This record gives sequence, C-alpha cells and structure tokens, in this order.
Amino acid sequence: MAPLKFGIEFVPKEPYWKLTAYAIQAENSGFDNLWITDHYGNRNVYVTLAAAAIYTNKITFGTGVTNPWMVNPVITAQAIATLNELAPGRVVLGMGAGDKTTLEAVGIEMGKPLAAVREAIDMFRKLTSGEKVAFQGEVFKAAGAKFNFKTANKIPVYVGAQGPKMLEMAGKIGDGVLINASHPSDIQFAVQMANEGMKQAGKSPADVDITAYTSFSVNEDPKKAVKAATPVVAFIVAGSPAAVLEKHKIDIAKADELRGALKVGDFPKALAAVTPEMLDAFSICGTPDTCIEKIAALQKIGISQFVVGSPIGTNVKNSIDLIGSKIIPQFK
Amino acid sequence: MDYPKLVEMVPAEKLGPLSDQLLNFILTTKNEGKMPTALANIMLSKMQQGAIKSPSGVAVLMEAALTLEPEKTMAALGEMQLAQLAEAVKGGV
Repeated sequence: MAPLKFGIEFVPKEPYWKLTAYAIQAENSGFDNLWITDHYGNRNVYVTLAAAAIYTNKITFGTGVTNPWMVNPVITAQAIATLNELAPGRVVLGMGAGDKTTLEAVGIEMGKPLAAVREAIDMFRKLTSGEKVAFQGEVFKAAGAKFNFKTANKIPVYVGAQGPKMLEMAGKIGDGVLINASHPSDIQFAVQMANEGMKQAGKSPADVDITAYTSFSVNEDPKKAVKAATPVVAFIVAGSPAAVLEKHKIDIAKADELRGALKVGDFPKALAAVTPEMLDAFSICGTPDTCIEKIAALQKIGISQFVVGSPIGTNVKNSIDLIGSKIIPQFK
Repeated sequence: MDYPKLVEMVPAEKLGPLSDQLLNFILTTKNEGKMPTALANIMLSKMQQGAIKSPSGVAVLMEAALTLEPEKTMAALGEMQLAQLAEAVKGGV
C-alpha cells in the first residue's frame, strides 16, 4: 500500500500569524497538504494562503474549498496562479459547489452546481495553461479572456464533492477528489462513485488523489477528544437531511431536539443532545490509537490522503504535535 | 526591554520547554489584537528557520508572550524556576 498523505484544514477565523504558525508546525510535523477554508465571514483565503506560502518551505497548499459563485472563476484562477509564483509547484485549487445557505446570505442563487464547477475548472485550466478562454457555457461566458503572465507549472485541481453526481464528475475531471465525510460507509460510497468517473475518463486510481476530508479530534484523554468534536458534530447533524441521519441509525428525535436547541441558541442543550452514534458517523475522534485504527480503515477503502479537519483537538498546537509524533509515522 | 539579554539568563536545557510554553500562550491568547505585525513576522521567520527554540527565537517569544499574556508568562517563569529572569523582567532589564 502506498504511504498515506496527510493534510490539515484551518479555518481563517484567527489572524494570519496564528494560522501561519500552525502551518509551519504542521509542515515540521510531517503533514503534506494544507487546506484553508473559504467563507466570506472569515479572513480571505488567498491572503491567508499567501502568508503560508511565504513562511513554509515544502508543504502543498490550497483552497479547501472555494466555489465558482462568490468570485468569477477568472479571478480565482488569477489568485491561484499568483500564489504559484510565491511557492512554485506547491499550490493546488480546491473547488466545490459551495454552500447554499452561505451563498443565499450574500444574495447569490446557486443554480446548476455540476455545470458551474465543471466550467469553472475548465476556465481555470485554460487560463493557467496560457490559453485564451472563449466559450458560452451553461453558467459562465467568456469572450477571449487571457492572462498576461505565464504559469510555470500545471496546477492540480481537487474537486470537493458529497453527492453521487459530483463525486463521479470529480473522479472524471479532478486531479484529486475531496470527500467531505468521516464514516467508512460514506467514504466507501464516495470512492465507488469517484472510481466510476475515473473509469469513464480512462484514469487509474493512481491518477487521482482520493482525499477524505474529515472532522477530526485527537487527545490522549478520549473524553477531551470527544468534548472538542461535539460542537462540530452538533452543527453537522443540524445540517444533515433525515435520509443521511437514518442511514447512520441516528435517533431523529434526538437530532430534532438538537436542531431546536441550536435554533434558540441553547448550546448546552444542543451539545448534550449529541450522541455517541452522531460522533461516530460524523467525526474521527479519540486517542491516537483509536484514530490510527479509523484512518487505517479508510486507507483500506482506497483513500490516498487523509485530511485532519476542524476541530483537530482541544489545543491545536498540542494536537498537531500528537498527530506528528504518534499518528503520521504509522502510515509512512 | 532587552529580550536577548534576558534570555541569556535561561539555562540551555530550559530553552526548549520555555519556547513551547511561550508559543502555547501566544497561540491560545484572546488578545490577538495586541500582537505587533512586525513581531509576528519575526516570530514566523524564526519558526520557518527552525530557530524558535534558539536564544534568539525565545527572545522573540518572550517579547510576544509578555505583550499578549503578561500574567501567564510571569507565572510560567516562576513555575519553571526562572526566578532571576522573572525579577529582571519586573525590573525592566
């Protein structure tokens, strides 16, 4: 089995220097990839990545993930290509459909997500290859856009996906697939869908970096690991449709109780409603040994990169140290 | 305050643990707004160069930690039996 790559996700809720310090620490701890989330409410993803580019030496980094709607794909391509000048060959684009609620909050209607992602990636690849973009797509139009500068290397594109059609398309057109899930059954399904798309494109599994983008929490004390994961899982449960909850045999009444509590801002009640089944379905959390076991199970399914996503642990710095000293060496 | 001079008072074997402790205070602080950008950038450069546990790296962390979390930092110096250093900080060396 090929060595598993490790990625880490940071949410730029904190100033650039804190995230950059964590990025340096992650690089020194053996992480291969750094993913920065993109949400208008937080710090800008490209500025955050630029700081990481300047102060790191070898880690690969990218958007985890951006979407085609919030900014025109031409500007996304321009930002990523410019980052590639700061850190040549260490930059990737992570692109997904975006979050409906977030887009609605800024007045953007999310229509035809498959076409939007496909066309945005097509524009990205053409522009960063020095080509002129002229086409009339289902979502985007371009009438001769071209960069006045060259991109030194091909920049890999990862497609963020959850639904079957997006997963299939991700396998077909992506250099990587970012699977937003933590449970083996969800990852298994996603890998199957991505493999289907890869087959259609005549690709082999080695051509695509199949990445599990998980909600993760590690601590030597399992109770502390659970405590850190609980708020994140509460929000995942609240945003999950009934079919997803039923698939994981989650008590719908408990989920409704949790949603109701979150709606009125009663966080203690919402957190108390999080069950072990919910934690198991939507996170990987526990001691380093527990996490190693769960990550190994995902590797057997066919992932080639494991992303440690929010919350990471009760103390991010200590958790990165723990992952670097106890978990990553088991997979290298 | 002459931070490099202060760090001269730290025995070599305590530089690593002190660096870890100070960095922890800095990264978990809620007083982020008090961090001078120039100091933050020097700290990141030291980390990038692998010099954050060296005397010059610890000097930068001392300055940042005393700016962001003075009480916690002074308490940590006491716990780490760096009384002479704590006194020098109080005296504004």
